[in-house]
Amino acid sequence: MLRVDRRLLKNVDWPLLGAAFAIILLGLMCLSSLGLGRGGSGLAWRQLMWVGLGVMALLAVVTFDYRSLVRAAPALYLLGLALLVTVFVLGRTVSGARRWIHLGPLTFQPAELFKVIFILTLAWALTWRRAPQQTSRGTLGWIIALIAVPFALVVRQPDLGTALVLLPVLGAVLLGVGVRLRILGALAAAGVALMPLAWLALKPYQRDRLFVYLDPFRDPLGTAYNVIQAKIAIGSGQLLGKGISGATQSRLAFLPERHTDFIFAVFAETWGFVGCLVLILAYGVLIVRGFEIAVGTREARGRIIALGVTALFAAQTLINLGMVTGLLPVVGIPLPLMSYGGSSMVASFMALGLLLSVRMRQFQ
Amino acid sequence: MDLAGESTARREAWRRRVLSLAAVVAVAFVGLLGQLWYLQVLEGGKLQELSEKNRIRIRPVAAPRGILFDRNGLALVDNRPAFTLSLIPREMDDRDTVLARLSVLLKIPMRELEEALERVPPDSFRPVRVRRGLTLEEVTKVEERKLELPGVVVEVEPQRVYPTSTFAAHLLGYVREVSGEQMKQGRYRRGDMIGQSGLERMLDEYLRGRDGGERIEVDALGRPVQVMRREEPDPGAQVITTVDRRIQEAAERAMTGRSGAVVVMDPRNGDVLAMTSSPAFALDRLTGNLEKEDWLKVVRDPLTPLMNRALQSQYAPGSVFKVIVAAAGLQEGSLTPMDRTYCNGEFHLGQWTFKDWKEGGHGHVDTRSALVHSCNIFFYQSGLKVGPAAIARYAQAFGLGAPTGVDLGGEKPGLVPFLDGRRRGDGRGWQAGDTVNMSIGQGQLLVTPMQVARMMSAVANGGVLWRPRLVQRVERVDGTLAYSSSSKMTGRVDLSPVVWAFLRQALSGVVNEGGTGAAARIPGVEVAGKTGTAQSVAKSDSAKGQDHAWFASFAPAHDAEVVVVVLVERGGKGGQVAAPIARQIYQAIFLEKVAMVSLGGDG
Repeated sequence: MLRVDRRLLKNVDWPLLGAAFAIILLGLMCLSSLGLGRGGSGLAWRQLMWVGLGVMALLAVVTFDYRSLVRAAPALYLLGLALLVTVFVLGRTVSGARRWIHLGPLTFQPAELFKVIFILTLAWALTWRRAPQQTSRGTLGWIIALIAVPFALVVRQPDLGTALVLLPVLGAVLLGVGVRLRILGALAAAGVALMPLAWLALKPYQRDRLFVYLDPFRDPLGTAYNVIQAKIAIGSGQLLGKGISGATQSRLAFLPERHTDFIFAVFAETWGFVGCLVLILAYGVLIVRGFEIAVGTREARGRIIALGVTALFAAQTLINLGMVTGLLPVVGIPLPLMSYGGSSMVASFMALGLLLSVRMRQFQ
Repeated sequence: MDLAGESTARREAWRRRVLSLAAVVAVAFVGLLGQLWYLQVLEGGKLQELSEKNRIRIRPVAAPRGILFDRNGLALVDNRPAFTLSLIPREMDDRDTVLARLSVLLKIPMRELEEALERVPPDSFRPVRVRRGLTLEEVTKVEERKLELPGVVVEVEPQRVYPTSTFAAHLLGYVREVSGEQMKQGRYRRGDMIGQSGLERMLDEYLRGRDGGERIEVDALGRPVQVMRREEPDPGAQVITTVDRRIQEAAERAMTGRSGAVVVMDPRNGDVLAMTSSPAFALDRLTGNLEKEDWLKVVRDPLTPLMNRALQSQYAPGSVFKVIVAAAGLQEGSLTPMDRTYCNGEFHLGQWTFKDWKEGGHGHVDTRSALVHSCNIFFYQSGLKVGPAAIARYAQAFGLGAPTGVDLGGEKPGLVPFLDGRRRGDGRGWQAGDTVNMSIGQGQLLVTPMQVARMMSAVANGGVLWRPRLVQRVERVDGTLAYSSSSKMTGRVDLSPVVWAFLRQALSGVVNEGGTGAAARIPGVEVAGKTGTAQSVAKSDSAKGQDHAWFASFAPAHDAEVVVVVLVERGGKGGQVAAPIARQIYQAIFLEKVAMVSLGGDG
């Protein structure tokens, strides 16, 4: 199965992989520093295990020609939907949300996997029967229907963050294939018009979070607590950071969800502005390489996948960092390759695998 | 699908669109870096401070309250560690559950717990004291269930212990949590223990000390991770009083079961050696936890245990006042030691008849024997001869009718009528009968036991009025002096030495020559004194007709070291009731001298 063409190996994107592993390494360091405090020890080891699993997933994805994966997209899409529905039936409720399915000792978040499936599905839908630039209104309708169902399911879990990440991916891909800005604007306007409906669907705590975004000190010990504590953690890192042993703010558990969605705050406290610059540079390399692959690929499905994956990374990174630094409302989005969590890690590796797969077959 | 045919133009368009997307992403990253620069570099210092505050909590450590010592270095009060139950609101995630558990566990009414928490913000990390003086058993109960009771802590605080529950109660005073009223002064923190009466209150500033604190590193749940720095509390300064614990104890023992007051003073400098007021309140009951009902019981007690009778109750001086009348007459020349009169038990003034206390009278009396036997008839006549103005002037000179200035609050001034030449109170003018009444210490005259002690000190020391002193000095723990007070003369009675000698001699006769104070006689020490029986306005039927019994005395008679004043409310005759109490106190004071005389007698 692992019969990879030697020529393909020449086209492995080492800067991309290097940046990804640099990020993973920094993330592991953060997790192990959290273990220095109390509780939470062993986080880094478990994360490392997920990384191992992720690497295997990446190799598996790379082995397949991405084109065969696109052909399988309708089946994968249905499988993804089935998993999302299964969450409601078998899922375990953790902090008020049903997001996880248990597979033996492992827990697994279908929504994370679905992000990757969604990109493949887009590539399939836009290239099915005709060239993508000839996208008709009918195709657009198709695509909107394709996204609406899983979107609603993910929102219902509730996992607003993951659902919202699908939108910039969709937007970026549609823009890339040449859907006119006017049409995209109309879609966005329709989305905004539907906002009141979405508002009704939100849970009270989700509404609170939006309020808190507008005024963090509205409820300093309740919902805004995360935001304020994260800001304090990041800010107190100052230029050079407090070092691993000095990062009291995050280590002393003032910071909630410090190993998952808010891990960047731990990093920023520990390494300061200079450290953040290095980390953001690594994400920058990753994303720039992604865009380059998208530009450099001649084949339509490949470049849609490359653009989709890149948009996914960029959107997740930006939304997470924006949320942790207080620029955006708090929605639960993990920082790719850094936040603790198996599904997110494996999904990120699969996405990377798609990117690499496209790159290696760029000139075929 | 063959893509080789894709036109360069299409590829270029794709490239352009992707690059514009990349530009959007790049702009977003630049914005993000800007925010990071703002947070970490521009606001970094401020947020750094916040993060410090975030993880460091200050937990107050109560300063031990200063100790009060007697003049010989014996403690009048001490401290012992006591357990206080406190709540830390911020650490109580599920407040109602925790309170409910605690309420059941320690049988504290839910309402009480809620009230305690109402006074502080819900996110406060400062412990709110809920109950003091937990028993060891209660502490164990809480500690065993610590995990079920987040936010509930047991603090160790020093608490007052007393030798006996009522020992020197009025002198020392009790210590309680600041009241809401006192909080308004802004000097206290909620839950502070402050002196509410007596010396504890007067010297609270010194005794309280300064609370220390522990800087504790805590995690987000408020669980202490480590103590970073402990700032030791400054213990309160210690107070060296003028009190002699042995004498104080003797005085209280002697007054057991009586209502009244004793003041023991050093006539040479005004030092108060003992001061008791009976009945006393239980200091240990008033300190710490006190149920409202118990407090009301103390306040509403008809025997008014909270009142310091030595300073705050005013009584007619009765025959004790005869000393003043004699001093005034002898000094002014309207009375001589040779003056004699025949006492048949009655004195007629106009239509009024004034009686002697002794049925049938004293027979022939002179000035000295009139004092010794407290003959009323002699003093009725003498009073008229001396005149109300002179009597009032001398009464005032001896310090009656004005507060003594002792270092305790709430002192009453007493009353000397006729100071302004008029009778007080009603429109009726001053009558000869009023003078007659005043001559034996009745009528409107009012004095406090403390005033009488000062007056007798003046008789004993030849005319010096001392401000009664309770506090010698206040020393900080490092030995430096925080406050010191020296004896202060506040007045002088100028009588010729002959008159002083006469008075002292006569007062010695009261005790030692079969006078009214014979019951105060002790072997080995010459006690001098004057009895008094003051008419009281009976407040209840059972006490009706019972007079207040006085005995004001000093010893040794001609070189006085100590003044003892005893007042027994509704006790009866001074000689019968108050003098024996004084004797008990003298026996304690002159224990060694008395013992030596006894031994000599045996030989």
